[in-house]
Amino acid sequence: MLLVLLIVVAPIAAGALIFALPRNDRTISRGAGTAVAIATFAMLIAARDAQWSVRWLSRPFEAAFHFGTTPVSFWIALLLALCTACAVATTRVARTRDFVALMLMLEGTMLGLFLARDLLVFALFWDLMLVPVFFGLVGWGEHPATAWRYFIYNFAGGLTLLLATAAFGVIYGSTDVIGRADAHLVGAWAPWIYAGFAFAFLVKAPIWPLHTWMPPTYGGLPSPMVSVVSAVQSKAGLYGFIAIGLALLPDYVREYADPLMVLGAISLIYGAVVALVQNDAKRVVAYSSLSHLGLIIIAVASGNRIALAGAVVYIVAHGLFSAALFMVLGYLEEREGTRSLLRLGGLGWKNPRLAGALCIAALAALGLPGLAGFVGELIILVGVYQAGYVWPVIVALVGIVIASAYMIRLYQDLMNGPEVADVPVRGDLTWLEGLAVAPLLAALVIVGIYPVPLLRL
Amino acid sequence: MTHHLLGVGGTYPLLLALWLLPLAGAVVCWAFGPQLGRLAGWLVAGLVAASFVLAALSWGAATQNAAGMLGANQRLVAWMPGFDFGLLLDPLSLIWTFIITGVGFLIVFYSLGYMEGDGAFARFFAYMSFFVFAMLTLVLSDNFVGLLVGWGLVGLASYFLIGFWFERPSAVAAARKAFVINVVGDAGMMFAIFLIFAKVHSIGFGDAFAAAGTFAPALLFGVCATLTIGAAAKSAQVPLHTWLPDAMEGPTPVSALIHAATMVTAGVYLVARCAPLWNHSPQAQLLVGAVGGVTALIGAVLGTAQWDIKRILAYSTMSQIGYMIMAVGVGAYEGGISLFFTHAFFKAQLFLGAGLVIHALNNEQDVRRMGGLWKRMPFAFWVMLTAVLAITGVPPFSGFFSKDEVIYGDLQFGHPALFAISALTAGITSYYMFRLLFLAFLGEYRGEVEHGHAPGWTMNVPVAILVAPSVAIGGALMSGGESAPWARFFAPQFGAEMAAVAHRPPAISEGMTSVIVFALVIIGFIIAWWRYATTEAKRDAVPRLAGETAHMPVVLTNLFYVDAAIDLVFVRSAQFLGNFFGRMLDPHVLDGAVRDVAFWARWLGAVVRSFQTGLVRAYALILVFGATSFIVYYTFATYGMRH
Amino acid sequence: MMAVPLDHYVALAAVMFFIGVIGVIVRRNPLVMLMSIELMFNAANLLFIAFARAWVQNSGQIFAFLVITVAAAEAAIGLAIIVTTFRPQKYVDVDDVRTLHG
Repeated sequence: MLLVLLIVVAPIAAGALIFALPRNDRTISRGAGTAVAIATFAMLIAARDAQWSVRWLSRPFEAAFHFGTTPVSFWIALLLALCTACAVATTRVARTRDFVALMLMLEGTMLGLFLARDLLVFALFWDLMLVPVFFGLVGWGEHPATAWRYFIYNFAGGLTLLLATAAFGVIYGSTDVIGRADAHLVGAWAPWIYAGFAFAFLVKAPIWPLHTWMPPTYGGLPSPMVSVVSAVQSKAGLYGFIAIGLALLPDYVREYADPLMVLGAISLIYGAVVALVQNDAKRVVAYSSLSHLGLIIIAVASGNRIALAGAVVYIVAHGLFSAALFMVLGYLEEREGTRSLLRLGGLGWKNPRLAGALCIAALAALGLPGLAGFVGELIILVGVYQAGYVWPVIVALVGIVIASAYMIRLYQDLMNGPEVADVPVRGDLTWLEGLAVAPLLAALVIVGIYPVPLLRL
Repeated sequence: MTHHLLGVGGTYPLLLALWLLPLAGAVVCWAFGPQLGRLAGWLVAGLVAASFVLAALSWGAATQNAAGMLGANQRLVAWMPGFDFGLLLDPLSLIWTFIITGVGFLIVFYSLGYMEGDGAFARFFAYMSFFVFAMLTLVLSDNFVGLLVGWGLVGLASYFLIGFWFERPSAVAAARKAFVINVVGDAGMMFAIFLIFAKVHSIGFGDAFAAAGTFAPALLFGVCATLTIGAAAKSAQVPLHTWLPDAMEGPTPVSALIHAATMVTAGVYLVARCAPLWNHSPQAQLLVGAVGGVTALIGAVLGTAQWDIKRILAYSTMSQIGYMIMAVGVGAYEGGISLFFTHAFFKAQLFLGAGLVIHALNNEQDVRRMGGLWKRMPFAFWVMLTAVLAITGVPPFSGFFSKDEVIYGDLQFGHPALFAISALTAGITSYYMFRLLFLAFLGEYRGEVEHGHAPGWTMNVPVAILVAPSVAIGGALMSGGESAPWARFFAPQFGAEMAAVAHRPPAISEGMTSVIVFALVIIGFIIAWWRYATTEAKRDAVPRLAGETAHMPVVLTNLFYVDAAIDLVFVRSAQFLGNFFGRMLDPHVLDGAVRDVAFWARWLGAVVRSFQTGLVRAYALILVFGATSFIVYYTFATYGMRH
Repeated sequence: MMAVPLDHYVALAAVMFFIGVIGVIVRRNPLVMLMSIELMFNAANLLFIAFARAWVQNSGQIFAFLVITVAAAEAAIGLAIIVTTFRPQKYVDVDDVRTLHG
């Protein structure tokens, strides 16, 4: 069905078309960007089970431009369309037109990645999706070195991914394998191929000790883009582990489960304790991401069915709450001109809506029962324990306690306490900003109460 | 031993309404608070009252015992196999529902006056309503995950209400501490859920309890021990009790509802609910009994050293809940629950009475600056006096019956050491409660406030209503042993457990224990009288109290150093690690390794770069040289092959 | 049969090629360099055609046409570059055009 192709092409084409608008345009590009993102959301729902494919290579191995969602990637793609729509709607940066165009291209390339049913297409979009973020960091970031650091780390991952893909294709004969249940690769080369994939995925997630590109990137990107990057781009690696690692090379995920689990557990605790002492609000969330993604890696490493179902819920939940957190912190930074926890305080009195939005997002992040994050954590850990791993469960519970401490600290240092005199308090969320965050917060509540569609895999 | 079966999968829509009404109140107050104004409070009071009425209407359904299924239930939602959610109303949850909605209604009503004029009036009632909803979720769930959801949500409501006046740094810090310690408890409960699910592949109470006999003893102890962490955190048991005294930063009605009558008793509910698990694990019973006993004693001892009227009551709450936890731990479920029931009334009354005083003295909470108040506020004095008599266990007040059951329960179930601790604690309780009463109400006034707020009728009426149950409910329901209405009400739920111990009566009879305990209570009263209420003590009260403050044992003012130890071992060490990782390891070691790679790549680039002169002719020369080399090499290398 | 032996063609092509190489390396005028490159192309063409004829295979002749087209394209681009560099200073020396050094 051609609609599937349109889902990938439309945002990229729309992004290119937006450059045709006047250079200083804000409203039209913002509106058009939001509309395109919403349209991709609708198209995704319409094309849930559809596929589109055309032959690409027949030698040295078969490859095809093959698109279509898998049960897991469908939810991530929906999340992506939702986050993009919400983030674009309230974009307020310099050169809005160019920024919105980049956001749409980011959406399109990431949709290409998540809809890819062919490893080579997956590898292609893996590298393409770095480009908009790179230009986002160059054009709107705080320090150009950050852009290079982001690009080089992730491109190194892209390189091993490409090598592994090529090797896979040569040995297996075809790369048109994502979403197929029967394509398993074994043999002498298979562990090396798995290593190539795993390195790329671990860099992208990121997982300790490959995470050092992440805090400056998340701190430097403008908040609309970082909300999409942290919500969805970080899931590319985790999706890779599920759709490629576990599906195509399951023997090796199982064989090397212990090192993976150790890395996940280290990330979990490491991210949590570092988040505890950060004074930059965005960095608190960045390090908390490291911690949360460590939990998903633990779920993947356990290989347990329940844990994986939980991992999907948690992927979506983390996407929703990290997008909401970064957006709200972005609004806050636009108003106050700083995001330092040491300089801000007592904003809750004058900004009840801002405080409420931050509160719900932070509570979901710390795993409050009744919200989406809790469902993911609970089901993951039920599965991990059932798979016979006890120590990662205990580590994760310690992480949950620390998470409550740093998230409450984030919220309280910004919103509670006496008002700080040297920072202007400039008004609550506008109705448009409220409308942009509301879908994310509503989804957190809905998934928290009724996660059934996500669990039905 | 068989246990009653818990019903599953039924429909009882009344339960849904009873559960969701307070949530509706919270949402409305949260969304339309500024528009509603004073109406917000009345709305919440009305909805909580409606919930109470629905609970009363459900009495028959909750106590029905048809086909081995006790109570009424309502299916809610199923996530995946093993994850079925529903609501369950049986005698145990009915009692809690009565207290949550009944006492809750009175306290919300009282708050109408207490919170009058506060800038965030509607927000307060939104939180209160949300709390009632969360607490109902906790007690009405028919599975461990629903229980945990309620567990977390009451923690959140408590967090909001402790930090209600969030411009005060002390309130913010107290709220944070309460929240984090409660999450420790949540984590413990989560672990218990993992253990149970791995064994029975279900989160339902019914499935877990039915299989309790098949658990290995170590596993069962593990389940109970991790549940105990949850109970200890929520119910302020040693060593997770340090948040409760700080929680008194919240408005006084909050302290009455959440930190005295309902939320902090959730641990008691948990142990009573999981009775089938504990019944199979004597070690777990001993653990919980010991935790409760130690907490009862420590809370009482710390209560003797406090000057803040609300903190005295907070330590007393901690101590009383220690009693309850101890009772349900050793197996005296009816006793523990009866103390919960009566405690809810008299402790709410104590807090609301203290609230009258605090309100009237413009938020003065230090008993050293009170005194002689019985002349100024006779109503508050009589309220506090009846409540003190109830809590110390003076017959025929309600506390006498329930505390008697608890203390005698220790002996019945074979724990003489715990009996000794509880009896001693009863004496200390009597001392610090009368100390509070004498300091606040007798002697001469030692403060400066001449004309404070006069409490309005909305504050006085609920307090007056509470006096009746705290005076009479014990005698009405709990006297008469096996044939008392209380015992008959719980017979289907806990009867088997009581029957098992009925035929091995302890060495001391119930009457004898009452005499011993009452003697200790009298001793406590006499010491309090001698120190604070004699004529000369009242005459030079100010210097005497200053001297007492100065000579207070350090170990008591520092709360046995538990707070400091937690801070050092957990908080400081986590912060140290965070700083070490974030400021040393991350930028210098991990990123440094990558930057080393970048440095060598750059060096290699510099070397190669020197060939790129930009001169076209140089490139051409190199090209020719290279091409020539290839040709020469292959010409001569393959020379031998051709000849 | 061939009137002129193959060796003569090869020798002529080698001479033409080396004249071209030396021209590229020694001369500093880009126009002359371009002409020298053409000379090398044509040396290759000569060989293609000579061998095609000697071995009676048409593919060599086809390649010669390809080379001619590539040479034409290359000359077009080369001349365009020369014109743009010539324009600002009315004078061209390839040794002065070294802004792309490393």
